[in-house]
Amino acid sequence: MSRFGAANCGCGQHSSQFICDTAPTDGTAEFGHAVDNAALRAAFPATATRRALLERFGQAGVMAALASVLPLANMRDAFAQAAGTPEKKQLKIGFIAITCATPIIMAHPMGFYARNGLEVEVIRTAGWAVIRDKAINKEYDAAHMLSPMPLAMSLGVGVAQPIPWAVAAIENTNGQAITLAMKHKEKRNPRDWKGFRFAVPFDYSMHNYLLRHYLAENGINPDTDVQIRSVPPPEMVANLRADNIDGFLGPDPFNQRAVFDGVGFIHLLTKELWDGHPCCAFAVPRAMLSEAPNTFAALLRSIVEATAYAAKAENRKEVATAISAQNYLNQPQTVVEQVLTGTYADGLGGVKREPARINFDPFPWQSMAVWMLTQMKRWGQLRSDVDYKAVAEQVFLALDAGNAMKAQGLPVPSEAYRSHQIMGRTFNPAAPAEWTAPNIRG
Amino acid sequence: MNKQVPAWRAALVALGIFVALMALWEAAATSGGGTAAVDPEYAALVGQAAATGGQTPFPRPSAVALRLWELLRDPFYIRGPNDQGIGIQIGYSLLRVTAGFLLAALVAVPFGFLIGMSPLLNAALNPFIQVLRPVSPLAWMPLALYTIKDSAVSAIFVIFICALWPMLLNTAFGVASVRREWLNVARTLEAGTLKTAWRVILPAAAPTILTGMRISIGIAWLVIVAAEMLVGGTGIGYWVWNQWNNLSLADIVIAILLIGVVGLLLDRALGAVARLVAWQE
Amino acid sequence: MSDLHPYVSVEAVTRAYPGHTVFRDLWFGVNRGEFVCLVGHSGCGKTTVLNILAGLDKPDSGGVIVDGVEINGPSLDRAVIFQGHALMPWMTAEANVAFALSCRHKGWSKPQLREAAREALEKVGLGAAANRKPSMLSGGMKQRVGIARALALAPKMLLMDEPFSALDALTRGALQDEVSRLVQEANQTAFMITHDVDEAILLADRILLMTNGPDSHVAEVVQNTLPRPRDRANLHKLPGYHALRDHILEFLLTRSRELRGNPQPGWDRKALPVVRPAA
Repeated sequence: MSRFGAANCGCGQHSSQFICDTAPTDGTAEFGHAVDNAALRAAFPATATRRALLERFGQAGVMAALASVLPLANMRDAFAQAAGTPEKKQLKIGFIAITCATPIIMAHPMGFYARNGLEVEVIRTAGWAVIRDKAINKEYDAAHMLSPMPLAMSLGVGVAQPIPWAVAAIENTNGQAITLAMKHKEKRNPRDWKGFRFAVPFDYSMHNYLLRHYLAENGINPDTDVQIRSVPPPEMVANLRADNIDGFLGPDPFNQRAVFDGVGFIHLLTKELWDGHPCCAFAVPRAMLSEAPNTFAALLRSIVEATAYAAKAENRKEVATAISAQNYLNQPQTVVEQVLTGTYADGLGGVKREPARINFDPFPWQSMAVWMLTQMKRWGQLRSDVDYKAVAEQVFLALDAGNAMKAQGLPVPSEAYRSHQIMGRTFNPAAPAEWTAPNIRG
Repeated sequence: MNKQVPAWRAALVALGIFVALMALWEAAATSGGGTAAVDPEYAALVGQAAATGGQTPFPRPSAVALRLWELLRDPFYIRGPNDQGIGIQIGYSLLRVTAGFLLAALVAVPFGFLIGMSPLLNAALNPFIQVLRPVSPLAWMPLALYTIKDSAVSAIFVIFICALWPMLLNTAFGVASVRREWLNVARTLEAGTLKTAWRVILPAAAPTILTGMRISIGIAWLVIVAAEMLVGGTGIGYWVWNQWNNLSLADIVIAILLIGVVGLLLDRALGAVARLVAWQE
Repeated sequence: MSDLHPYVSVEAVTRAYPGHTVFRDLWFGVNRGEFVCLVGHSGCGKTTVLNILAGLDKPDSGGVIVDGVEINGPSLDRAVIFQGHALMPWMTAEANVAFALSCRHKGWSKPQLREAAREALEKVGLGAAANRKPSMLSGGMKQRVGIARALALAPKMLLMDEPFSALDALTRGALQDEVSRLVQEANQTAFMITHDVDEAILLADRILLMTNGPDSHVAEVVQNTLPRPRDRANLHKLPGYHALRDHILEFLLTRSRELRGNPQPGWDRKALPVVRPAA
């Protein structure tokens, strides 16, 4: 029996205790978890008192009582504009040296963290498994993760026990590609790919799910017709060069780096599979929301600011200069530039122009989380039945991110769900079951 | 057979071999570019070799030498946690090796003493030692990472484990083979156990112990490179892995060179200590 | 028997391994200030006797009484000069002697130890070589250091295990004279095992003749009546020397074999027959 199953919660209003513990209490989903927690903490500074109250009356009851004496709506605005002093200023954030991490990285040299009162150390990390382990061991305060990772960790999939982490913001959309070894120049039809060895950055990654979906749509069974290996992104080009793999669906700049070194060519950009798909996430431990709400708010502000800055085409060259240094991506600047500007060599002698090759949009659509969960289910990573929406709402902090975006004057979607166009099919988050069958199309 | 040759002549031959190797390398590395012609816009976006349809070739000795100069000119800079000088990286590795090695010595020498002095302990512990000794120290890494939950300490633990056995076995052997007559002298002098251990057994076994230490430090230096490739973060091993992932082969050649030189220096250092405690009859 | 209360008394000592008896029920004594040599062939168990006296080996039964007290293990009072010099090769000559002295005199300071060690080395003519390590010393010099080390302890008894057997003839002779002089000067009680007849005649007051092993026994005690001081150059001119030498040689050549397991009539292990061939 899954802990996200249909069991009723203690308060009787929600389908599970999981949601009850954390769902907004006014039913309108108007304010984020962080405001809740900040208000609670402000009203009842003593942890013991707070806990006793929560135990006695439940969060809904306490918040309702609070709302009668506190202007919660105003607090929400105040919170969004000028938050209190961060509880913890010195933070360590792990990242993988890929362009997906652009906002996390550039916020450091370009001063976005410092502007929000934080002293952040961004630490380059060897691979996603290491990021996950260091996050679990609390060596990192926050981390650059693949957006499905916090879902898997929170569900206890691929880890010893559930570790609640959350996606505070999406780092980037698009920005990935399928790169094939030079020797496969003529094999552009995926139906010819039986027996190929592919690399993806991690089992719980958009890369894995997109590659599998792409293969399945082309009649290749990703479990039996090809090999898909987890390879840390920095090791992908070296593996391609060493002929350990035939290709990879991986993050940039490694697709472009393969082209730069004459090792591979870009078969297609993932934008062509799903325009606007999410990739990496800015992830925080869920506990940060209650233990250090001001730090969380400051961090989220920094990231949203940086993401907004990176999203502007005219800033891309400057960003490329800032992040290609040895301290961050450690790549030839032209490689990073080609990824960010979208004017790039395809490895086959052509120059392509695709300004939307990578984009930056912090809003964590919960519908995207639902798609990821369907794929976890589809490929056997998720064995039990879970309430996709409940998990998505727990892990993807659309409200908090939306608040931060609003404060920047960015447009915020009115809902956290929408439909997505994926390889010519429409994904409707209200009907996830259509996407959970393997569906290898012959 | 073994006639003395003048040092200058040996040096000359060594230099000749070096030059020949470099020339061969330079010649071999020149190939690799393709012949296809492409438009200049494309060529500007990719590496030199890729522009003509080839793969980035192995770096030439001249390129490696240039890079070496670049790295050694400023070996100790620190620009954030992700970009630190080659000297700092080697420093991290040396620190780990030293820590693991000293810990191993702290355990191996006293235990080696016990095992060497007691045939019973020797026989009882021997099966354990024989089973654990041939295990690759890196095989301990996952276990260390899981239990210690700290990558820095895990790397030191792996060094500890690999440095332990040669010292333990050599100490035990050295202690067990201390001459009966020296022990008899100590007995007739009524020297206590501690005094005998300190003034007689330790100096008598010291050359053997030092041999074990020399083997240990050599293995430790071999293993640290591999261990750092696994745990990452800092150190020359991580640097090698990083540079390989970045296809910076010149850096790898340099790392190989530096690892060799540092290994040599470590061995020489312990060799000097060994000469200090050596004795002749 | 002349000595009713000998300084050192070996009483009923047996040493045996399963299936191999080295000797059984051994009795003899050494008087204070006396120099006793035990002579026998290799394998007769004479080194075992010395080791038991030194406390390095334990008898299976019986015991050794020194100065009225039964010994129980090694003691600084019974200094040993080993067959191989047994110097610690990592210490200088001086440090070797000082090490021994530091065991005897626990409270002494380093300079005190150094000075005493140097003095002891000067007594054996090695003052100039004090700072050399054993590897830089000749065989004779090494054994002199061994002698200095033993004598520096001022032991109640000096035990010597064929101390000169590894040396060339010239050096051996010089050292024998040296030991003879030093032991006489200090009136040192000494017990030495050897298979060199002239050495025994030069040094000993009494010579114990041991039959071949296994299961050896002391066949008789030879009283060396040659006058002192003796020196090697003139030893063979002393009256009675040849008779003494012939007696011992004859024992070593034939009787040591014949008497094994077959004591001569009237032999009493507690009152060994005493002969005076030189008288």
